[in-house]
Amino acid sequence: MKQWNTWGVVIASGLLIIASWLTGSDWLMIAAAAVAGYRIAISAYQALRIKTVSIDLLVIVAAVGALFIHNYWESAAVTFLFALGGALERATLNKTRQALSDLVDAAPETATVLRDGEPQTVEVWELVPGDTVLIRNGEQVPVDGTVVSGHGGVDEASITGESVPAEKAEGMEVFAGTWLRSGVLRVQAVRIGANTALARIIHRVEDAQDAKAKTQTFMEKFAKYYTPGVMLSALVIGLLTRNVELALTLLVIGCPGALVISIPVSIVAGIGRSAKDGVLIKGGEFLETSARVSAVVVDKTGTLTNGRPELTDVVVLDDAWSEDQVLALAARAETASEHPLADAIIRGAEQRKLAVAMVERAEPVTGKGIRAEVDGHTVAVGSADLLDHTPANDRILALNAAGKTAMFVGVDGRAVGIVAVADTIRDDARAAVQALHDNGIKVVMATGDARRVADNVAAELGVDEVHADLLPEDKLTLVKELQRQGHTVAMVGDGVNDTPALAQADIGVAMGAAGSPAAIETADIALMADRLPRLPYALGLAKRTVNTMRLNIAIALLTVAVLLAGVLAGGVTMAIGMLVHEASVLLVIAIAMLLLRPTLKEAKQSTTQRHEAAEVLAS
Amino acid sequence: MTTSTLKTTTLRSDEFSCPSCVDKIETKLRGLEGVESAEVKFASGRVLVSHDPAKASVRALVDAVAEVGFNVKPSAI
Repeated sequence: MKQWNTWGVVIASGLLIIASWLTGSDWLMIAAAAVAGYRIAISAYQALRIKTVSIDLLVIVAAVGALFIHNYWESAAVTFLFALGGALERATLNKTRQALSDLVDAAPETATVLRDGEPQTVEVWELVPGDTVLIRNGEQVPVDGTVVSGHGGVDEASITGESVPAEKAEGMEVFAGTWLRSGVLRVQAVRIGANTALARIIHRVEDAQDAKAKTQTFMEKFAKYYTPGVMLSALVIGLLTRNVELALTLLVIGCPGALVISIPVSIVAGIGRSAKDGVLIKGGEFLETSARVSAVVVDKTGTLTNGRPELTDVVVLDDAWSEDQVLALAARAETASEHPLADAIIRGAEQRKLAVAMVERAEPVTGKGIRAEVDGHTVAVGSADLLDHTPANDRILALNAAGKTAMFVGVDGRAVGIVAVADTIRDDARAAVQALHDNGIKVVMATGDARRVADNVAAELGVDEVHADLLPEDKLTLVKELQRQGHTVAMVGDGVNDTPALAQADIGVAMGAAGSPAAIETADIALMADRLPRLPYALGLAKRTVNTMRLNIAIALLTVAVLLAGVLAGGVTMAIGMLVHEASVLLVIAIAMLLLRPTLKEAKQSTTQRHEAAEVLAS
Repeated sequence: MTTSTLKTTTLRSDEFSCPSCVDKIETKLRGLEGVESAEVKFASGRVLVSHDPAKASVRALVDAVAEVGFNVKPSAI
């Protein structure tokens, strides 16, 4: 609604300007200035109340001054352009804020608290540490706390990045924002609201984003000196020359029309071009650092791997059974389970065209696996604890050491086979790592997964360093450490747990299709095509956008400087000044629009990269 | 003010559209009796207020921010 109002003002003002041209009515031009200037005036007044001289004030004084000397078109042009620049800039900033809002929304607003044993629904911010909350199957955990009774599987991907739900029982810790996928838990609240692990993640992202926002809001910093400078100059010149028109001319010409539009229009054009190529680039100033990237930190799950377990091995332990029979038994037993590992086994059986009918009766055993009745036999899938007779564990240990999750398949208490699942490596991950190495960039893997899983994937891909068992804050620390060593760091991730590191990195790169909205919006670059080899291409596009932005700022500043000098030296009138001003605005827009055209060089690069990726994959 | 009486309340809004809004809100909140600190997170639209609820209620915080032109509400995180 706010967005629409912002653009509504710009459109209404623009239409009034056109209507004024068509009818020759000065009143319509004054109305255009009033419509575009109304909010600018309110903002200037609010800033003045807290003793801040903002650029809004300069625009309003210039616009009112122009009205005073009957230059209605100048007044309308100044306010319209300023409103247009503001709307473009706000659209970009709002995308980032929406992302963090989504992250905040990841926490539930209400909780079921037990008071005198009775469940009551309350707002989460009303809870206090020590309260006992009830969490049912399918609900979100509202607080950080300790399980006091019950058991269940908790999806903690938002905090740890671990793709497999963690089994929770009495005495274990749970985190706000995670999801209970099975069972019922009673949890004693330890940390609430702003003190939870999720809030700390959000806090880290906010700090990094706010720091970036401050460097990006060039206009805010610029206005601090520019606005009082221009106003003071106009006042001094007016007093010295006793020429009100000259003073007002200085104010109007000093009002930086091209400058306020040069940054947002370049960014929007750059974003438009790159979006067509499947790469979403988010901002302005920080993009120049992309050329200096010397280390890339890559999350594992969903970035280097597909992010969901797949069946990898079926081992026969009893010659009376075939591989397909072992797998079919396991798959049928798992039809009663909602566990992601069960999904992988069932999909694996279906890919082998095995019949996977639902079982009639089944009993999940928390933390161990599942028992089910299949064709009159008791079939168990899981740990050795579910069976009476198992062979030595060495096969299981070997599969686990290879980064896989291995489970016994037993019939009537006796092991007949083993099934193993693992998160599989993405097809294009190897080409991406190779391309980064070719450009002299160090590749570091950072994952919340177990060390053995991480080592296995790292060895497969040839990454330079592996960091496993990491919490979101550990990933952040890793990025900071690399920065401390002098590296310019790009972080590639896709999950909510990656967002602090994405925000801290010099360049945050999110993987699109598999990524969480928070990760995509927190990042500076999002690969919507979901192909890691697009990273070098994305960095090139970012550089082009930054170069255009700098050129436009230079043109805008030069225009203002030359005009001001011209006015002071004499010879530049208000009419000439505004003409040059408007011409500079059009020039800045035209240069930015050039970004929308793909260059031959870029197309070649893109094609070369595709060929390179294909060759690496084929080899 | 003793720290034992202080509570951190998070307020949220989707209306902050310029970094200068941050100054307005922080200045207003810090001027209230019973408010120890106020920090606006522009990137997310959150306002973290450390306050003594007996002197500055959550309602008073919301009203104070409304006075400088923004609607906010208490948040879980």
